[in-house]
Amino acid sequence: MNFSVPQLPAPAGRFGRKKRAAGLLASLAAVALLASGCAPATPGPSGTGSTQTSAAKPAGPVAACTEGTAGKLPLPADWQAPSPATGATKTAAKAPTGPQTANTAAITLPIVANKATPTLPTTVTSCDKQLVDVTDVSRIVTIDLNGTLTEIVHGLGLGANVVGRDRAADFPQAANATVVTPTGHDLNAEAITALNPSVVLTDTTIGPLEVQEQLRAVGIPVIFFDPSRTLPGISHQINAVAGALGVAAAGVELNKLVGADMVAALSMVPQDSTPTRVAFLYVRGTAGVYLMAGPGSGADDMIKAVGATDVGTEIGLKMPFTQLTSEALIKAAPDALLLMTGGLESVGGVDGLVKIQGIAQTPAGANKRVVDVADGTLLSFGPRTGQIIKALSLAVHGAPQ
Amino acid sequence: MTATIPAEAGTETRTPQESKESAVAPKPGRAPTKRTAKDRLILGTLAAALAVTAVVAAGTGQLPIAPMEVVGSIIHGFNNWLQGWLDYFGTGWNAPFGGAPLPEHARGYETLWSVRFPRVVLAMIVGAALACAGTVMQGVFGNPLAEPAVVGVSSGAAVGASTAIVTGLATQGNWVVAIFAFLGGLITTLLVYSLSRSKGRTEVVTLVLTGIAVNAFTFAMIAFYTYVADPNAREQLIFWQLGSLNGASWLSVASVLPLLLAGLLMAFLAAGQLDLLALGERSARHLGVNVERLRMTMIVTVALLVGAGVAFTGIVSFVGLVVPHLIRIIAGPGHKLLLPASALGGALLVLLADLGARTLVTYSDLPLGMLTALIGGPFFFWLLRRTRNEQGGWA
Repeated sequence: MNFSVPQLPAPAGRFGRKKRAAGLLASLAAVALLASGCAPATPGPSGTGSTQTSAAKPAGPVAACTEGTAGKLPLPADWQAPSPATGATKTAAKAPTGPQTANTAAITLPIVANKATPTLPTTVTSCDKQLVDVTDVSRIVTIDLNGTLTEIVHGLGLGANVVGRDRAADFPQAANATVVTPTGHDLNAEAITALNPSVVLTDTTIGPLEVQEQLRAVGIPVIFFDPSRTLPGISHQINAVAGALGVAAAGVELNKLVGADMVAALSMVPQDSTPTRVAFLYVRGTAGVYLMAGPGSGADDMIKAVGATDVGTEIGLKMPFTQLTSEALIKAAPDALLLMTGGLESVGGVDGLVKIQGIAQTPAGANKRVVDVADGTLLSFGPRTGQIIKALSLAVHGAPQ
Repeated sequence: MTATIPAEAGTETRTPQESKESAVAPKPGRAPTKRTAKDRLILGTLAAALAVTAVVAAGTGQLPIAPMEVVGSIIHGFNNWLQGWLDYFGTGWNAPFGGAPLPEHARGYETLWSVRFPRVVLAMIVGAALACAGTVMQGVFGNPLAEPAVVGVSSGAAVGASTAIVTGLATQGNWVVAIFAFLGGLITTLLVYSLSRSKGRTEVVTLVLTGIAVNAFTFAMIAFYTYVADPNAREQLIFWQLGSLNGASWLSVASVLPLLLAGLLMAFLAAGQLDLLALGERSARHLGVNVERLRMTMIVTVALLVGAGVAFTGIVSFVGLVVPHLIRIIAGPGHKLLLPASALGGALLVLLADLGARTLVTYSDLPLGMLTALIGGPFFFWLLRRTRNEQGGWA
């Protein structure tokens, strides 16, 4: 019995009885080597294919990962704010003090106007370098830590096809799909399979990765997308998802909508000579555990996008999230703190936050300049990001004059 | 005679006759096994219970599949296997069981074969390995509290696995984690053995204290790894500490099955010698047992079994403690019955615990180690009370 055949424990035809016995003896090593070949533990950028920017049917496989890391690419030209020289220099109102909440209630997910008919089948180079054939997009399951993929699929006009999603996707259109990650972690392969998905879009931010492998073994096409969350990465992510689902034209259209939002948001960001220094803190509960975001966290890009300085990057943090001592926080001296609304509530609001050692001693703590933003938005890096930046900018700087 | 081994004598009433049975064996460890009717009844009952539970477990899950469809899927799998051979020999015949009912759900058949069945099989392997490791440890240490998780061998294996995960070696393949887990388990077992023994025996208190020290150290190591790890590796570490069979595949089954079989074989071969060892080290030596060699072989055996038990599943605690003690209460302390019965019982316990882990909460997968500890903790307490009432506790 050859256990390494993913579908069934049936004998591979080319193995004779003697070879089979030998194969069993060497099963530990041999099977393990196979495992290393299939493990999606280190998805790298794929070397082939190109991001689809036109509506034409792709010639080669669609690349789920962009060449190099998406974060190193520049923001698309038509997403950038017009150069400040053309308009009057925008100066912020007097910097607000006291708690601010980014007004994300009015944010609507941009959805392409024309419902596209998917051109199938497509072949996708998943981030783990596997070629995945997509023949049916009628039942899509989207799972990642930040809700990004769910958001993009909805933006592409295929929201009705989403049968299962992660918990992070918090926009109203997503409500109909089953949440397959009630705890945010620990996927269950059987529960996802029970939805009978025709394709699963995911990335390495959620797992255990063995579950995604099991879904593949069951015969469901599983595509890993780029796990990094950066501002320039959004348009590539949209194109990659659109290409994979056979609606490349919708991807281009959605990128235009998002680009327009982005330009509107970035144009209203004040250009200060001394940028506000903002630190994103991940706090949960009153146990005094807080992590500061640094490079690669996603929060760094959002803080930069609103014309502020990311304190975590500035003080030389190396990891996306770092547990900080009170003294290090006091030394970092942020002007403003950025938190998730849920996190802020878990420590008892701003009043509870400034009781945490080290926070009251920072300029931000002293002025209670704390900005909170709804949990599912800040790090979603999907089509709503332009509007989120706008709301965040208003909360950080106050309305421009 | 048995008064010198409080461990074995304590929980047992049938000790004298059982020990005598092994003691009269003509050649240590090679005695022809004569199973009594009671032995056969115990093993048979356990095997039957395991088989029934396995079928029920295979038929239960978050993807609903009717029992007949599960049976049909198994027949189909066998049929396809048969067909593979028929085609291989170029017979042109069709395998005869193509008509078996298949699951209504479109992905039912594949889900059974690539998600649920490997998980059920891995649960049994892990349970058998851990329970057997517990039995062997209790035999070698002459100590009722010896258990992979209690004395820190499981967490030692976890440190090995964490090392592989944090250093990025794990990306070379799952087998690297398994090998590191084995090495970690081996080093820790040797450490516990050498630290807790003095003058040829291990006292309960010394062993437990050694276990506390070893556990403290290994948890500190894991905490350090958690601190330095990137978020992805951190998730894996947490998974390891809680224990879970989520993600079981035929690959992991094939990787740990040789470890289990080797460990079981070594343990079964030494069953007679373990019985003699229970008489005390001197008596065993006089009866022809090479005690030091036996101890070292059994330490490697424990490391093999624990490696198999934790490599893909993380720390699943208390199985090695609960199962052998329960079996001893029913079957007596003779290792020739105790070892296979513990293996069956352990497989049964983990199978049941995992059934709960994967079905209790919809769309979620509970940590298996958490469930076994929830059962094992109170049991441990009951064991302490029971021993105390019957013989005044363990010194």
